Amino acid sequence: MMKPLLLRARGERNSRSLTTYLRFGGYGAVKKALIMDARDVIKEIKASGLRGRSGAGVPTGLKWGCVPKASGKPKYLICNADESEPGTFKDREIIRVDPHLLLEGMIIAAYAIDAHKAYIYIRGEFFHEAQMLEHAIGEAYRKKYLGKNILRTGFDLDIYVHRGAGAQICSEETALIESIEGRRGQPRLKPPFPAMAGLFGCPTIVNNVETLACLPHILENGADWFASIGTQESTGTKLFSVSGHVESPGVYEVPLGTTFREIIEDHCGGIPNGRELKAFIPGGSSAPVLTAAEIDTPACFDAVAKAGSTLGSGGLIVMDETVDMVWVLENLLEFYAHESCGQCTPCREGSAWALNILRRIRCNQGCPEDLETLCRIADFACRGMTICPLGDAFCEPIRSFLDRFGGEFRAAVTSGNPPRVVKAPILPTRRDQSMFAKPGTESC
Amino acid sequence: MLRLTIDGVEVQVAEGTNLVEASKKAGIEIPTTCYHPGLRVVGQCRICFVEVESMPHLVTACSTPAQNGMIVMTKSPRVRNARAAVLEFLLANHPLDCPVCDQAGECSLQDFSMEIGLDESRMIDEKRTFPGFESRQIGPAVVQNQNRCIRCSRCIRFTQEIFETHDLIMKGRGARAYIDTFDGRPFDNPWSACVADVCPVGALTVKDFRFRARVWHLMETPSICPGCSVGCNIDVGHLDGVVHRFKPRTNPEINGWWMCDHGRSLASDLNNRDLDRPAVRSGSTFSTLTWNEALVILAETIVTKKPRIVASANLSNEALFLIRRLFVEHLDLEVVVPTDSGAQRWIKNERGTRIESIEVQPNGTGARLIGLSMVDEKGLRDFVSQSSVILLDNRAHAWLAGPDAAAELRGRLAAVFGRRHTELSRTADLIFPTASWFETEGSFTSSTGRVQLARPGWSPVRLGRPAWRTLTDLAVRLDLPLENCISPRRVFEEIVQEIPAFAGMTYRRLSSEPGIPILKDIPHVG
Repeated sequence: MMKPLLLRARGERNSRSLTTYLRFGGYGAVKKALIMDARDVIKEIKASGLRGRSGAGVPTGLKWGCVPKASGKPKYLICNADESEPGTFKDREIIRVDPHLLLEGMIIAAYAIDAHKAYIYIRGEFFHEAQMLEHAIGEAYRKKYLGKNILRTGFDLDIYVHRGAGAQICSEETALIESIEGRRGQPRLKPPFPAMAGLFGCPTIVNNVETLACLPHILENGADWFASIGTQESTGTKLFSVSGHVESPGVYEVPLGTTFREIIEDHCGGIPNGRELKAFIPGGSSAPVLTAAEIDTPACFDAVAKAGSTLGSGGLIVMDETVDMVWVLENLLEFYAHESCGQCTPCREGSAWALNILRRIRCNQGCPEDLETLCRIADFACRGMTICPLGDAFCEPIRSFLDRFGGEFRAAVTSGNPPRVVKAPILPTRRDQSMFAKPGTESC
Repeated sequence: MLRLTIDGVEVQVAEGTNLVEASKKAGIEIPTTCYHPGLRVVGQCRICFVEVESMPHLVTACSTPAQNGMIVMTKSPRVRNARAAVLEFLLANHPLDCPVCDQAGECSLQDFSMEIGLDESRMIDEKRTFPGFESRQIGPAVVQNQNRCIRCSRCIRFTQEIFETHDLIMKGRGARAYIDTFDGRPFDNPWSACVADVCPVGALTVKDFRFRARVWHLMETPSICPGCSVGCNIDVGHLDGVVHRFKPRTNPEINGWWMCDHGRSLASDLNNRDLDRPAVRSGSTFSTLTWNEALVILAETIVTKKPRIVASANLSNEALFLIRRLFVEHLDLEVVVPTDSGAQRWIKNERGTRIESIEVQPNGTGARLIGLSMVDEKGLRDFVSQSSVILLDNRAHAWLAGPDAAAELRGRLAAVFGRRHTELSRTADLIFPTASWFETEGSFTSSTGRVQLARPGWSPVRLGRPAWRTLTDLAVRLDLPLENCISPRRVFEEIVQEIPAFAGMTYRRLSSEPGIPILKDIPHVG
């Protein structure tokens, strides 16, 4: 087991204080970065192969490179700490253990993209964490790591903590920007992407807490060192927030490419009470579910994608043999139906509709057509049918649950006692126009 | 200019045009519910999907700018399936109460489900409802039914972007999101009923029009709003001789897509008439006459008493021109047109330019151009303070409707024209019923300097007569025939010849163009 990087201060006394951080060699990377050329910093990050840790896995250096150099507008850096997907709690751990690591990463990122104002958009429920950040920012200002003329290099940076109001949609970067601007948190149409026109219409980079926390390590030890950890395409270490049926749930830091078996069995102590693993969700609740047979998949972006899921945010949800998959899907959809912002029709109506169907199935009132309807909802509410990826976020679980555990669902609907429903046609039925596929023939 | 191909049709569009507008140019309609040409593009209803070659996903036509060489397919099976699915989502919780919905007949959702929707819904669960929001009066002019709402946010964007009152907001989230007024205040702004126009479904309806008529029965006559000098373009909806509503008609130069609530409220006024035949005073009562008899008496009065004439800026250019010709040029009488600046009203045109009214009467600008002298309230009171007076419109000025005017003019009012009795008309010696502006053809000059044509919806009811006809008839009785003035069209031809500001205009041009600007460099006559 390798020594943790991001969580290196976990278990230390006063791990959040600046003194402890300096004892670990803190703010050394900033000293190094601020005398480099900003372009070299971006080059270094590109060379390290660091990919965004928020879910999409976009290479961070590439994202920074999109910021227009001479737009004449101020640039902004936003740290996305609105971690609200069920099963994901890794960013909270970084803030709790080592907030200065995040601040140092932010200084480096802001220097690289030439931003002088940075925001930490933190989830509203993280009240104590917001206080911890405020405290750390105060310490950094006093020691001149923030503010005007940082470490006498002439670089200015102010960091503000902005608390969200409890909407998961605000972890989507454009909704987050809307929220900071003081409007209702709803994703914007893209393009323009935030790197071109984001916060207040200015070029903006939104990075995840974990991504930013990797930066000091890369600058301190070099891109090659970082690239040597993990696999070819997925470099570095990754935090996995493991929850569910394991002996010791929690946040674990492992190099990318470690198999899920290692994470679940070695790090977390396996499934309790001698039960068998049934399924696991590798990357937060929006990632498609994987079965026990796929436990030897390496936890890196490409291998997980090949297995039919996504690494996402690294929220590993483990389910043992006692779990009812219909209940799990209902549970997940309850979250997505509640968190849909209500903007796009397919997501707004689809999530609530799918939830209604699952509730009915769970009440033993399902009918076999329900599964077709679920498939149809999942087909038509994702992959570009909505503005933001929340449409996919609720469709992928539906699709993967029906795919991998369809038997359980079929059993639930056939044993059901469906309500007597008289289907009335929307409009006078036009039998002559058979231009649409009849119910049931949709791809599933 | 960009060239692109839409369903095999090649079109040329300007840079920055979106695919909805580009398709319109190609003669292809793309269904839209959240897109409105006057509002910001949000792309959230997702019904305007089109397939673009070389793009992996379907794209929303409203938010995709046209590009050179783009190949767009709007009717491919993939597009039709996606649109049908979006419609199914939209209809899943829609109450489908079309039989009792006022929007039925002009409802986007209804049109699209006929066109592209599925026959049956898979939705077998109970529909989502918003108890207490079925017919909720959110302001003096608008009634909300949240159950029908499809959350296109047009109404919200309208209040935010066009008149910037920010009255409406979206509350709640996801499927429970609903439209409400900001802070729970009444939705009371001068253009509030426009949200019912932009609403693609029956979620927001105009209170005055609720349950009045089915829209497919309504006749719609393009006309001009008489509410102020701006001259917003309207469609008058009427059925069996009853006017039911005014609806804004798009005019990019004057009112864009909008009109104010004051203008809309004038619709019911057209249905009110209690003067239906000419009458002459005998003692304290009136006895009715035929038009012929009444005109003979009027001609006598004019010859013997040489009365002063109060014209009206509510009259059309044609009527005002005949007034000038007959009373000023032939008879050499004194004529004034009273105007009243009244409450300031404004509207925004298609480019978002603010257009303000200068008077409450619709044709003050026309009267000035024709060369009649204008007076305000004080001038009017001085003008009518002596000698006998003929009033060509008893609602020419607010003062004339008040009790002061009746007391002032008692015994000196030779004749009055109008549609309804006022206190003043009961003191007149002769009363003439007039046709309303909606019963006669005529052009009006907006204070923006545009001449616009108002078409008649029907011919005058009862014995009301339009002003131009009364004047030509009167001229015959006075042996001063007005040559060529046998219809508003012919009168307008005379105007065009005689008044340089109107040069080059014809009725044909007026009815096909969004108003013709007057020639500005020519000094006003008179």
